[in-house]
Amino acid sequence: MKDINSGKELVNKINSFIKNYNFEIIASEGRSELTRFAESYIHQNVAETNFALTVKVVNKDRVGIVKMNSIDDHIISENIEKATEIAKISPKLYYHYRLLTPQSYKIKSKYSKDIANFTPLNRAQLVKQLIKEVNKRGYEAAGAFKTEESTLLVANSEGVFAFDRGTKVDFNCVITQDNSTAYASFVDSDISNFNIKKITNELLSVAFKNVDQVEIEPGVYTAILSPEAAATILDYTGYAAFNGKTIMEGKSFVSHNQGKKIFPEIITVSDDPFDEFTMPIPFDMVGCSRKKTDLIKDGVINDGVYDHFTALKYNRKCTGNTLPPEHASLGALPFNLVMKEGSNSVEEMISSTKKGIYVSRFHYVNILNPMSIQLTGMTRDGTFLIENGKIVRAIKNMRFNTSVVDMLKAVDMISKEKQIKSQVIPSSGLVGPVVAPYFRTSNFTFSSKTSF
Amino acid sequence: MFYMKEILKDILSWLEPKVNYADLRFVQTEEESIQAENGILFSHIVSTNQGVGIRMLADGAWGFAASNNLDKASLQETAAKALDIARASALTKKEDVKLASEGKHTDTYITPITKNPFQVSPAEKIDLLVKATRMMLKDKVKKSEGSFNFYKTNKIFVSTEGSEIEQTIFESGGGITAYALGEGDFQKRSYPSSFGGDYATRGYEFIEEMNLLENAERIAEEANQLLVAPSAPEGVTDIVLGGPQLALQVHESCGHPVELDRVLGKEISYAGGSFLTLDKLNSFTYGSPEVTIVADATVPGGLGTFGYDDEGVPASKSYLVNKGKFVGYLMSREDAFKLGLKSNGAARAVSWDRIPLVRMTNVNLLPGNLELDKLIGEIKEGLYLDCNKSYSIDDKRLNFQFATEIAQEIKNGKLGKIYKNAIYQGITPEFWKSCDGISSGKYWHIWGVPSCGKGQPNQFIHVAHGTSPARFRKVKVGASK
Repeated sequence: MKDINSGKELVNKINSFIKNYNFEIIASEGRSELTRFAESYIHQNVAETNFALTVKVVNKDRVGIVKMNSIDDHIISENIEKATEIAKISPKLYYHYRLLTPQSYKIKSKYSKDIANFTPLNRAQLVKQLIKEVNKRGYEAAGAFKTEESTLLVANSEGVFAFDRGTKVDFNCVITQDNSTAYASFVDSDISNFNIKKITNELLSVAFKNVDQVEIEPGVYTAILSPEAAATILDYTGYAAFNGKTIMEGKSFVSHNQGKKIFPEIITVSDDPFDEFTMPIPFDMVGCSRKKTDLIKDGVINDGVYDHFTALKYNRKCTGNTLPPEHASLGALPFNLVMKEGSNSVEEMISSTKKGIYVSRFHYVNILNPMSIQLTGMTRDGTFLIENGKIVRAIKNMRFNTSVVDMLKAVDMISKEKQIKSQVIPSSGLVGPVVAPYFRTSNFTFSSKTSF
Repeated sequence: MFYMKEILKDILSWLEPKVNYADLRFVQTEEESIQAENGILFSHIVSTNQGVGIRMLADGAWGFAASNNLDKASLQETAAKALDIARASALTKKEDVKLASEGKHTDTYITPITKNPFQVSPAEKIDLLVKATRMMLKDKVKKSEGSFNFYKTNKIFVSTEGSEIEQTIFESGGGITAYALGEGDFQKRSYPSSFGGDYATRGYEFIEEMNLLENAERIAEEANQLLVAPSAPEGVTDIVLGGPQLALQVHESCGHPVELDRVLGKEISYAGGSFLTLDKLNSFTYGSPEVTIVADATVPGGLGTFGYDDEGVPASKSYLVNKGKFVGYLMSREDAFKLGLKSNGAARAVSWDRIPLVRMTNVNLLPGNLELDKLIGEIKEGLYLDCNKSYSIDDKRLNFQFATEIAQEIKNGKLGKIYKNAIYQGITPEFWKSCDGISSGKYWHIWGVPSCGKGQPNQFIHVAHGTSPARFRKVKVGASK
């Protein structure tokens, strides 16, 4: 399925096997390679090629779904027979199932030949360069360097035909020397923007400051979050609160607060596939075109994102956020979270903070209470105390138990600079990267300490 | 399978003169997934997935490539790709990778099951789930959900050391959840455990023994009670952890920190490291003398039970913590070699397209000798906490915090009123040192955890934890807000 024509052939083939029923299909093919390093050598280095085909046979309000990873006619036909049998005997769905009608798509993924042609040796050479530089300063390096190309096809028997092809480079690295650590990451659809020297310098600059950490008491602090840390908070917030299915079920903070102005006017958060920094796909897993959805607009809680099934059940409009069938029970998740930039610089945030904490990165974040969007997690790889407008020293890691609602209510500064960061919730599959600025809040609750 | 094994052996012969070591794994998985919501079927998905992963050491470094194209020519291309990758890895090597010695094994392993889940009619399975989710819709329970998942995995492993191993692993599992909805609040109760229920390497008999219908109304009632219950009190108190919650406690605060690859820094950039550094082996007091934890991939029915791991090492039982002392790691052949040890069979890959990593098998807290009544009866004031709702731990596995679906007051040795939104927090060794009682084997169960994430690319592997309720003194508790 290397091009649009092979995609069309696949749809025709499936059509000929199914005959008397409606259907939806999702087909993806990809090559992904990942070089992983730790203790300053490459310890894992992998490549995979795979194909996945999901066929949903629709028999009025009954459906049967099969998934396979073979292009072999015999296997496809055998599986389609299975799906047809399931669609005959399955109990009815609780809503009238309608297939989507043909859509137009305004965006497409970026495809870089440079990424597609990037070799294991190319990756190893860049990793070696980074290792050499950080070793010179007494640090060890660990991280992952992924390059991938993929094609995605979504089609149905009503004439929906959506085809996309894209590439991605995803890099992250931690450097360590005893308790001195630093982290940097990079994600893009074009490798020409990847600058290993810049990343190395960024890592060393943070690591040199992150030494001789002192313990401070937990409590409510002013906190400045880096784009990395802010992206993690936004990612979990999108998951916990802006899923249309949980909103409709009354299980989200948004369910009871739609239309209310809760946050300062400078807070706008969207699911925005059109943002200049993000890496969008043009359609969701039923072929619905991706749309911009304001989740929080000028401080007002607007709405969440909706998948095709929730939209059908509750008579809403699908926002182009349908997940593949194996994750469909989750509902919908924002694919391209973007927090609107502000007008400040991070230097201004720090220089105007009397006492506060700068957070470089969070670790193992989880939802404590979805109704208040209370999250928990740890800091890591560079947490710093700010006093009288200056970063004065590194501090030991701490656990936070903090409500995103309280945190965002107290945001007074957002940076002009935004960065794109890989999403962190590992199970959400299709969710794309998050575009986040630095921001400052005067209400961030650190609840306990750890020993490093 | 025979045809596939012959192709693998042909590729191996082609590779043999070019590499220091190679293994090939063919993995074919059949999966059936059923989900129901509010007494109605949500989805029924049948999947098949197959491919070959080729791993090798060449120029003293690792390379791995995997493909779903199973003809001989494609697999030879995949092998050549893995060779290129290994040579690229060698660019940064400090020393040649060496593997702990392992015997040559020619064997077959099949999970013993009573009732093949793929031969039970879909209608029977759907009917049970639909009924259970319908029964939970009582009072304020406006949302209920349930799921079943069944897997049959055929594996062929061949290596340049001469091992030829065939395995067929069956797995079954599922569970139900009731959500009681109030104004600005919702509370949930799950059975038999949260996050998808309970899983085992067993057949459909495992689902039948769950007694879902007998428990559906009870958990719905508990969800309703939680909605109007007060939040858990804050402070320092004695607690008893129920089996499902203790399983996650073992998972996060023992299972992960004893993974030797984490200790050696191989996961530092992603999942983190471990406080159980090499200097602590055989000398560090991890917990109280009550605490003995083993890794046991041989225990019947455990979700981490198999014949051989994905490096061809036989399943085994080894001690991780013995009467409170830290005595062992979970190991791969490569990492075991660094300690001058043999692998204890803990290198596992989630599929054909992933490399084996050091993973938990069945990491079990061995039972004590107390009756549950006595365990609770010896607490003047405290909480009984069960069924996980939220989990988080720092990147060295020291500072943890868990939230549970339900808490119950313990007063003068008796269980009392229930509380919602309970959380407890601690530092791993201090917490396990505060364990002064574990209930007996009568209450012991191996809880299957089908979603343990690790590695890049990420792998969600199936593991398990045998636990019986245990008591911990002076633990920091509170409530989410």
